Amino acid sequence: MRDLLTILAVARSRWSWMVAGVLLGVAVVAANAMLMAVSGWFITSMAVAGLSKVSFNYFVPAATIRALAIGRTVGRYLERLVTHGAAFRILAELRLWLFCKLVPLSPGLLERYASGELAGRLRSDIDSLETLYLRIIAPLATGVITISVATLVVAFWSKTAAIVLFMGLAVPGFILPLFARWLAEAHGRESTALTGALRTAVTDGISGKAELLLLGAVEKHAATVDDLSARLIFEQDRLAAVSAGNLAALLLSAGAGAAALLLVCTAQVNAGALTGPQLVMLLLFSAALFEAAGGMPAAMQLLPAAAASAGRITELTAAALPVAEPLLPQVLPTGFALSLQDVSFSYAGDNQVLSGFNLELPQGARVALTGDSGSGKSTVAEILLRFRDYQGSITLGGRELKTLAADDLRLLIAALPQKPHIFNTTIRENLRLARPEASAAEIAAVVYDAVLDEWIARLPDGLDTRVGEGGSAVSGGEARRIAVARTLLKDAPLVILDEPTEGLDAGTEQKLLERIDCRLQGKSLLVITHRPAPLAIVDRVVRMGAETGRNRL
Amino acid sequence: MCNNPTTEDPTKEHAAERWLIGELKTVRQPLLISIIAAMLATVATVLQARVLATACHRAVIDGAAVAAIMPLALYLLLFALLRSVLTFYAERQASAAAALLKKEVRSRLYRHLHAVQSRGRVADSSALVEAVTQGVDYLEPYVARFIPHLAVAALFPLLCILLLFPLDWRSSAVLLFSAPFIPLFMILIGKGAQNINCQQWRSLAVMSGHLLDLIRGLPDLKICSAARREAAAVARISEGYRQSTMAVLRVAFLSAFTLEFFTTVGTAVVAVIIGFRLLSGSLSLVDGLFVLLVAPEFYLPFRTLGLSYHARMQGVAAAEKLAPLLAADVFSKPLPELVAVPEKVLAIAFEGVTFRHGSDRGGGVTGIDLLLPAGTVTALVGESGAGKSTLAGLLLALASPQEGRITVNGIDIALFSPQKWHQRLAWIPQKPFFFCGSVRENLAIGLDLCSDAAIYAALDAAVALSFVTQLSGGLDYQLGDNGAGLSGGELRRLAITRVLLREADLVILDEPTAGLDRENEQLVMAALTQVAKERTLLLISHRENTVSWADRVVRLVDGRIEQPVSTARNAARWRAE
Repeated sequence: MRDLLTILAVARSRWSWMVAGVLLGVAVVAANAMLMAVSGWFITSMAVAGLSKVSFNYFVPAATIRALAIGRTVGRYLERLVTHGAAFRILAELRLWLFCKLVPLSPGLLERYASGELAGRLRSDIDSLETLYLRIIAPLATGVITISVATLVVAFWSKTAAIVLFMGLAVPGFILPLFARWLAEAHGRESTALTGALRTAVTDGISGKAELLLLGAVEKHAATVDDLSARLIFEQDRLAAVSAGNLAALLLSAGAGAAALLLVCTAQVNAGALTGPQLVMLLLFSAALFEAAGGMPAAMQLLPAAAASAGRITELTAAALPVAEPLLPQVLPTGFALSLQDVSFSYAGDNQVLSGFNLELPQGARVALTGDSGSGKSTVAEILLRFRDYQGSITLGGRELKTLAADDLRLLIAALPQKPHIFNTTIRENLRLARPEASAAEIAAVVYDAVLDEWIARLPDGLDTRVGEGGSAVSGGEARRIAVARTLLKDAPLVILDEPTEGLDAGTEQKLLERIDCRLQGKSLLVITHRPAPLAIVDRVVRMGAETGRNRL
Repeated sequence: MCNNPTTEDPTKEHAAERWLIGELKTVRQPLLISIIAAMLATVATVLQARVLATACHRAVIDGAAVAAIMPLALYLLLFALLRSVLTFYAERQASAAAALLKKEVRSRLYRHLHAVQSRGRVADSSALVEAVTQGVDYLEPYVARFIPHLAVAALFPLLCILLLFPLDWRSSAVLLFSAPFIPLFMILIGKGAQNINCQQWRSLAVMSGHLLDLIRGLPDLKICSAARREAAAVARISEGYRQSTMAVLRVAFLSAFTLEFFTTVGTAVVAVIIGFRLLSGSLSLVDGLFVLLVAPEFYLPFRTLGLSYHARMQGVAAAEKLAPLLAADVFSKPLPELVAVPEKVLAIAFEGVTFRHGSDRGGGVTGIDLLLPAGTVTALVGESGAGKSTLAGLLLALASPQEGRITVNGIDIALFSPQKWHQRLAWIPQKPFFFCGSVRENLAIGLDLCSDAAIYAALDAAVALSFVTQLSGGLDYQLGDNGAGLSGGELRRLAITRVLLREADLVILDEPTAGLDRENEQLVMAALTQVAKERTLLLISHRENTVSWADRVVRLVDGRIEQPVSTARNAARWRAE
């Protein structure tokens, strides 16, 4: 619950829209209940007047009925517009807030979100917060206000009737939602888990289709999928049962409430405390309110999932920064000689990756780091980018890295990460990320230097070709060269290339290295590679320790 | 809300809905019971209204005492209970129908996807996954909500008119005339707007995809010093989305507005008409109140149907994706009799083999003539898209050549039973398939009997024994998704173990050492040497180390063999170039 409030607090500047949506919702329910109440009172009065042959001023009630009918219709339309408008405004605030919160946490804390299922969960978490106001907050607030106000209104005519009505409304309004929530919680959790498991199994089966066929294991895997599907459908059916039970209980409580009110009000008519038309008015008014309270269980049922989503997101955003920023950052150095002395690094699970590592990279020098996977080559690059903290000393132009603002430091470094991310946009936009103001000629130059020129020339849309989600529309080698081009476009004095030629054939690799060699004249270069070819463009090769120190489980 | 876009093509939509209605046959019984129960529940509702009207009449006009009203209150409670129970039962039956249908369609679809002839690599596996998982789930609202609501909307209003007409023909006429306007306006305004509405929800998906894309690429954004710039873009895109969506919603909500207008104003007009007839004394209060209470119930099924219209669109959109998948031809060969696979697979020959993929995507092969002598290692090299994987797929009989044939000891492989042929060969793709389960289960997959001793022997041969014994639990070590927990080289060696266990005669390897460091590469190559003993190997690779190990090298360029089958000496020359 507290997490939901944290999330709502993010959008507090939009409170007026949220309140307006709820008030309009209350107005619509009120108009509907009053329409039925006035109609009932009106026709009963007309019947009484018709029997006793007294005159009755029917102009005002008849006009009121028409006005309420139109008011309800228009109010409903406005309510929909305002609540949706509010939801989108809140959504915009939340997205911006989340993005800004996550920037300093990346990549240290976000690594676990990089892969399929967790990324999917983050996405569904964000999506579920999008409906927070529209499907949960607004209906619940409207319901609570309506029930309270309606009870007070009825109390004006009959206190007993008000008590009976409140008790009747409390069942669908407060008790059923809590009960439904309790019943649905485990099934909802289980069905989310099973949905993920089913997705994983189906993805496995479809991507490994040919292999399953050759291994003769199609039927075995299909049985696994059937089993997961049956279990998921069972849980979904349980959730449907909770909804059906809710609906049934709502209908029963409305019927019981009507019966009880009928008796209570008839007694008061007998006693002369209420007139006949007032009896009908109160009965129809109450009946309409039960409809309004009917939306609360559905909202309550969504609450646990939304709270869990909010919990995961606030937990993520509240995490401590993986790399501390200096209180008073120094100004950037003017020289770029890099020196690592006795640098150590270990992951949280005290898995020592680097210990006592030394490296000198004078300004303009070129060094290659080689070594087996797990020897910490890529960790060096991440430390230099201040993505990870370190022990020991690293100086750039004589300044300790820890004393520089990380954002400023990164202005001096152009880096190709080991697993670069290709954004789901055009090739051009992927390149321009590094330098939005780059001219067409500059882009053409990096396209040539990254050996993308011939390939792009063959594409019908050229640089405006979209690369798909995570670069899925281009091959692995093309994606890597796009990332290389992006790195080259950022004109920084220190260049770090992590496996620049991975996935390229020998011819392309050679061409790429020649062009990089030519382009990076005069810059400091750190190449991380396990292939022999890139070693040709460096002055010095540093082989990192073979001891990987990897531990399992 | 609308996660499934609808197509603009109405014929396709109709075909999809016809398919969906055809599928309903299997769940006809629970669906019918559900509709009957729902109709009975509405009858209970009408009875409730009648009892309430009677009670009011007695209390107001006759001045009856509480004791005289008591039985009526009990009837009211009884009918409420009846309505409640019937509604619950109707909902349960509808849900059971949906569950049955989902289970059946998903199982059939998943098996069908495996049975259809695959045309090269699966182009868009995520769309297929989406269809099997969420696509099938979207059938539920159609079955469980839309169909029952449609039936009630068709039947109940008629019942109301039949009951009300004798009591007051004027208000019945109001109801009768206002009713057709509701579906009419809903269709007129709703359909167009809903389509745009759906596009908006699709763009919501695009927008949340955009944010996720940025979050995944945050390290790259930071490297490019672009994080702050992109934050501004997030704000801008969200605001643009809000404005365009609200513009659409203003129109889309008009359909709901029309519906509300007719139902509310209809009820109001009925109230006024009844009022004047009561004043003139030509109608009793009980009948007047009854008409007033039934009027909103008359409109209710239309409103419910309007709300579940969205469920229909979702179901139809899902059906549009599912129906073509299920209609795809199953790989079947019209052969009178199959020929047995030769006991020992020996020489394999491609004779003028041509295969082109559908549409304009490349990767096909043209006029391939190639001999793989028994017991040799042949390397297939070439740039990506040159047709290497296609050639492998044809040999695996995952697809048949459009021209030419592939023979084993002179017999066309098209004459073999695919299962029998598959038992004789093994394939190690770039990313071998591993499911969540123990190492043992993953190795023995598809095998009837497999002793631990045999597994250990195969592990030893595949240079995998030392790392497997180091795993906690050894053979019982649980692999995560797609082999998570083990390195690429280790998984490759496990896949090789699997091949050794299966005693396949022909082994096809796709880039066996890609992405491995030198140490792992050497280990994998050592394992492959074991595989090559007494087996025919086809190796797809562009790595020099791997290729140098082959007896023969074949280079593919744009689907043709550029260089005739080379001897080992030729291979050495090729390497030197």
